[in-house]
Amino acid sequence: MRVIGLSGVFLALTTTVLWAHASEQGFVLLLPTDIYIVAGGLTVLITVALLAVLPDRLTDALFRPARLTAVRPRSWHRHIMSLAVAIVLGWLVWRGVVGPRDPGVNPLPLSVWVVFWIGLVSLQGLLGDVWRWLNPWTGVGALLHRVTGSRAPLRYPRRLGYWPAVLGFLGFSGFLLADPAPSDPGRLALIIGLYWYAMLAGLALFGPAWMARAEAITVLMRAYRHVALVGRMRGRLAIGVPGWQILSGPATGTGLAVFCLLMLGSGSFDGVNETFLWLDLLGINPLEFPGRSAVILPNLLGLLAANAALIAVFSGALALGERLAGGTTRLPALFCLYAPTILPIALAYHVAHYLTSFLVDGQYVLRALARALNLAEVHVTAGFLNSPGPVKVIWLAQAGTVVAGHVIAILLAHALAMRSGHGRGRAVLGQAPLAAFMVGYTVFGLWLLATPRGA
Amino acid sequence: MTTPKTDPANGLKARVTGTTRRGALSTLAGGVAAASLPMWARYTHAQTAEPIKIGFQVHRTGIGAAYGRWYDRTTQAAVKLINDGGGINGRMVEIVAEDDGTDPKRGAEVVEKFANQHGCDIGFGTLFSHVVIGSAPRAGELKLPYFVVSEGTHVSSGMLNRYTLQPGITDVRSQVIAMAPFITETLGKKVTMIFPDYGFGYDHRDNLAPAIEAQGGEVIAKIAIPPSETSFTKYFPRIPRDTEVLYHVMVGPAVLTFVKELGEFFGGRGPALFGFIDSLEAVTINSPGLEFLENTYFWEGMCRHQQSDESPHETAYRAAVGVDGRGAALNDGRDVSTYAHMFGCWETLHVIKAGMEAAGYRGPKDRAALIEAVEAMTDMPESLAHPQGDKVFNGKTHQVFGHQNISRVEGGKLVRVHRTSIEDSVYPDAVDYTTRPF
Repeated sequence: MRVIGLSGVFLALTTTVLWAHASEQGFVLLLPTDIYIVAGGLTVLITVALLAVLPDRLTDALFRPARLTAVRPRSWHRHIMSLAVAIVLGWLVWRGVVGPRDPGVNPLPLSVWVVFWIGLVSLQGLLGDVWRWLNPWTGVGALLHRVTGSRAPLRYPRRLGYWPAVLGFLGFSGFLLADPAPSDPGRLALIIGLYWYAMLAGLALFGPAWMARAEAITVLMRAYRHVALVGRMRGRLAIGVPGWQILSGPATGTGLAVFCLLMLGSGSFDGVNETFLWLDLLGINPLEFPGRSAVILPNLLGLLAANAALIAVFSGALALGERLAGGTTRLPALFCLYAPTILPIALAYHVAHYLTSFLVDGQYVLRALARALNLAEVHVTAGFLNSPGPVKVIWLAQAGTVVAGHVIAILLAHALAMRSGHGRGRAVLGQAPLAAFMVGYTVFGLWLLATPRGA
Repeated sequence: MTTPKTDPANGLKARVTGTTRRGALSTLAGGVAAASLPMWARYTHAQTAEPIKIGFQVHRTGIGAAYGRWYDRTTQAAVKLINDGGGINGRMVEIVAEDDGTDPKRGAEVVEKFANQHGCDIGFGTLFSHVVIGSAPRAGELKLPYFVVSEGTHVSSGMLNRYTLQPGITDVRSQVIAMAPFITETLGKKVTMIFPDYGFGYDHRDNLAPAIEAQGGEVIAKIAIPPSETSFTKYFPRIPRDTEVLYHVMVGPAVLTFVKELGEFFGGRGPALFGFIDSLEAVTINSPGLEFLENTYFWEGMCRHQQSDESPHETAYRAAVGVDGRGAALNDGRDVSTYAHMFGCWETLHVIKAGMEAAGYRGPKDRAALIEAVEAMTDMPESLAHPQGDKVFNGKTHQVFGHQNISRVEGGKLVRVHRTSIEDSVYPDAVDYTTRPF
């Protein structure tokens, strides 16, 4: 029937579950993306080659931060801020239940998916630790502690490690990727309300360790904090090349290392599941996408498979490198050492993947704000996606972000390898499989941006 | 026995049958009764006059979202006009928008919410036919009048139910067959079709070929392209050399690539090119890279670019919806609307208004009377309620028929070269929904 295919060029435009946008995909297919993809892959390859010949201490010097002013954080400042955020969240959940049903108008889906998931997560990874101030649990937790005067009655079981957060994040990704209506205000209000309450109970029972290890969003935000420009170093604010905090941060445990890979794996699958290739694999006509309710199970299985495949390939590259270099470090230790170097790539994917959505959906947020403040009506436009010029600029910005993420990851991995003290030759040899993986992943990431999508 | 009734507010001429006349009489009786009530009771009644709630099933997310945005704007503009004019039966109209995710299962849930949760009087909206087909059975079970704006032939084919109507936009079958006379008389008798190799393409293939043959023409080749194809030049040598018209209905993200490669292949010297604007809806037609569209022909439900003889009704419609003479948003010339289709929302809402007024609609118990009132409609004259043009509604098949436009790209502008008659688009009835019980 014609109407199934009615939207013509629009059919393939979703880069998010929120609001698909106009015809930029058609213009992307007119771009010489093959050339751009090769150029991106070569950039990462050249970075690898340069590291083999440039001075040993270069990467360490590159990631050395500049220390700024001393900071004496007063915890009550951020507790008050956190309490305010909790109150706002409560209001949003209430609006989700009783407010307008349209997810483009109701403030809950706009706040959760656009302001928080696209905006705040990107800000946390690009700029610095804003979550420390905006965490909606810590203030309430501190207040409870102050009012009752009692400490958390239970100790967080150490053997649980980060695994509750790993499960939580997989659950979150599954909801984002496979639920038929993740933007439905009522449904979202129920899930957010219950999750907030459950995590507050965890905080009250087990204390701050629960937040740091079991609450998936906090774990995600604390991981992305390490990629940001600004951080803290010995009581001072410091600024450096993105990723400097990964080199100066504490060692990573297995659970957290797996979490880092899930961040990239889930983010990548969030692009794959829309491609013609994936839909072909499922036997779905990419011009006749039947709707998300028809692909719930394939999306969930695909999410798990994509993450398992990423962990397997990453581990394989590390093991092979160690073998080539004649090292004796065991795989779990290597895995924990190098997993955080993946974070800049995960952040780059997040930013690139959601850039167009942010440009369109951000306008819905502005419109809602303007209406709430009785300002002039904001006209939501996707016009810039209907012309080749802006589409090219946006695509190149996305591609540039992806390439930059990989280059930083390569530099970080090299710096870590040089720290082992076995010399540059061994470091370069040991890094070769990981470098090949990074080049391949760059090409894959750029292909994801260029390939036609049908869901 | 029928009585013509013209509503000056929307220019809609309906024939009030016995049933709807009963509805009108009951309204009258209600009015008399109200007048005889004591003052306090009338005051109470006025205070509790609730708005008429129209559940708007909108593609806010999913693959239909780009259409959803403009369907929403058109809907809001139509409701504003209706409310500014006093609403329906003296009650304001309230739109309750729910996102259907462009998903049939979700669509059915949304219909259920309209009926059971939000207390909507009717359901309205939705473009993508799989969502309509997924939602209509639930609307029928819940006895919720469901006014769709999808162009699907599924309504008139008889596969849906008495509660589902399509009174504001023509269906794809009538659009396709109405093209045949112009194609054979003006562009050429030897036609080659290029279409995507699945149901949507087959609909065009199966409807156009007999219509072309009936006009003395011939479809000399049918080239089906695999849906996931993104490069097309290799298919073009299969176009017979004596082709006079190339009828293309490609869709999907690769459609611009298709047009570009087609232009490069023929270099402006090939057969006449005829397509449906659907593939380029909301795309700036004079975008760099689309120069090959010059001198090609497109079907348009409503002409995106302002024509020299545009009716004052259409001019007023453009202003109300907020689009300029090129069909783009007034405050952003790049934000091109889905102009060829979105009038369907506007016209459907005005049909709902006319139907509710004819039926004396007061609440959900009058839903059946509303359906009967719409089924009784026939001629819909061109007016502000019907800015796309006059139409004829077929109450038996629940489908409206109207004029179609064929435009040629001239200097980057879509210029109408032909407007079909309504008769060109009519086909035999396949169902009589009026015989089905409520």
